[in-house]
Amino acid sequence: MMALLDRAPVELLHWFLGVLGSFGVPAWILAIISALIIIGTIIGVFLGLFALTSVMERKILARVQNRYGPNRVGPFGLFQPVADGIKMITKEDLVPRTADWVVHLLAPVVMMVPALMVLAILPYGRGMVPAEFDAGILYFFAVGAGTEVAVFMAGWASNNKYSVLGAMRAIAQMISYELPLVISAIVAAMIAGSLSPSAIVAAQSGFAFGFLPQWFAFTPWGFAAAFIFYICALAESNRSPFDLPEGESELVAGHLTEYSGFKYATFFMAEYVGMFAICGMFVTLFLGGWQAPLPFLDIVPSWCWFFGKACFVAFTMIWVRATVPRLRIDHLLAFAWKFLLPMSFAAFLSAAAWHYAGRGPLAWLTSLAIVGIPYLVLGTAFTNRFAVSRRTYQFSE
Amino acid sequence: MNCEFLKTFFTDPMKLVGEWFVILPALVLLLSTAAAVVVRNLIHAALLLTLSFIALGITFIALGAEFVGFVQLLVYVGAVAMIIVFAILLTRPDQLTKSGSALSGIGPAGGAAIGFALLAALLTFVFSSPMARKPLPASVSAPVAAIGEALMGDYVVVLIVIGVLLTAALVGAAVIAMEDKP
Repeated sequence: MMALLDRAPVELLHWFLGVLGSFGVPAWILAIISALIIIGTIIGVFLGLFALTSVMERKILARVQNRYGPNRVGPFGLFQPVADGIKMITKEDLVPRTADWVVHLLAPVVMMVPALMVLAILPYGRGMVPAEFDAGILYFFAVGAGTEVAVFMAGWASNNKYSVLGAMRAIAQMISYELPLVISAIVAAMIAGSLSPSAIVAAQSGFAFGFLPQWFAFTPWGFAAAFIFYICALAESNRSPFDLPEGESELVAGHLTEYSGFKYATFFMAEYVGMFAICGMFVTLFLGGWQAPLPFLDIVPSWCWFFGKACFVAFTMIWVRATVPRLRIDHLLAFAWKFLLPMSFAAFLSAAAWHYAGRGPLAWLTSLAIVGIPYLVLGTAFTNRFAVSRRTYQFSE
Repeated sequence: MNCEFLKTFFTDPMKLVGEWFVILPALVLLLSTAAAVVVRNLIHAALLLTLSFIALGITFIALGAEFVGFVQLLVYVGAVAMIIVFAILLTRPDQLTKSGSALSGIGPAGGAAIGFALLAALLTFVFSSPMARKPLPASVSAPVAAIGEALMGDYVVVLIVIGVLLTAALVGAAVIAMEDKP
């Protein structure tokens, strides 16, 4: 029964294709229909998750800040996304007279396409990978690079100084954080010995002592890499505390300043889908993908675990947003280049030591030392550098 | 759900859509590159160049070089295109119009002559190299593991030399950008 539920999405698709095939539909049309069904399902699921997150985020932020949050539309305010969607569609679409309207129009599209394309390689469950690539991890980051182009197009085409400044900040931030992001992802690929996401999930299967899951996040190098990946994921999806490209107190809304109505909604959607994609990547690389955390929990369908874990990671991102204040641009870039990049190299070396020291107690010690010592040294240097001293105010003459 | 269609769609296009999957991105590549040269607006030219990088990446993927195609997208779209755009944005418009370049006086005919001379030189080198005389391999699949072994085995010296070169460039850039301490 449970095994059937685990395979339910796949079986359903096969049954449907079988029914179509019995009516004499040729095989190549079946292949196209199957691909379209998979694409439609993934887009539907992630847009549903987007709608759910947009209301849950406001609810959680409100709970943290001791207020109610949206509670007018439907039970517990759950229909808020519907109301927001109707509002966004019916709003007037404003394009500034001096804007480059072709690029202005294309930017939201260019933003949305990579956000949806990266969803193709995530392993959603046992045997549920829409597109199995030999270099799946590379595909994820290569396609994700299109987002930067979209942000630039949006900022420049608006012909607004706030937009251009916001876009420049966003691109500087994305390029800086992409390095440690990719290196920490490579660490997981290195130990798994493959760039394919399903092989990385398979490398994290099994339980030590019969109950401890052997996920990469539970090793010294894996923990360091997971932490770096998480911080960089926050920065890549432009989320607080790294959301200063749209810092409203300085830049109105950054590259989104001149967007309204459905184009703005497209950006918003792409940002949330991208956030879920990178959460899914985090789960795949470090949290064991679709695998259950305890042996007896294996009866829960694997895709439930994947989406459960991804939602949990997304929840922590919202939690961070409610807790941590925004960084300043120079601190942000200094943090990426002077702390995260050396630390990701340390995690890289630590993983190599783990591999060659035989993955036993000796491996634990050496890899812990290789990650721990740079962390202590760099961390102390950083705390001294940015130590909060007594503030003295000077009045201008 | 492990869909063979998408995989064949990207890796072995001959099976599915004939040669069009190779020809189409190649056409986009040629047209966007030509447009990038012709267009007056610099930012439009940069964006068209980005489109040509994307088309080139897809062409590689369509020809079976999955890894090269992804790296092309990651490096050229993610980094090189953005650096070009940054360079344009950081240059003031008045510096663009009065170009003091030594090549500005040669006119379109001179430019075309230089272009064709370069093309001829490149083609001569390509066709005279021993690589050109080798017969084409039967299959063009290149798994990532094989590429990694080749880079770390046969071509390790080249890899290290390129690494040193890039590091030197990075250090040089940092030195130029560094503030002078009083």
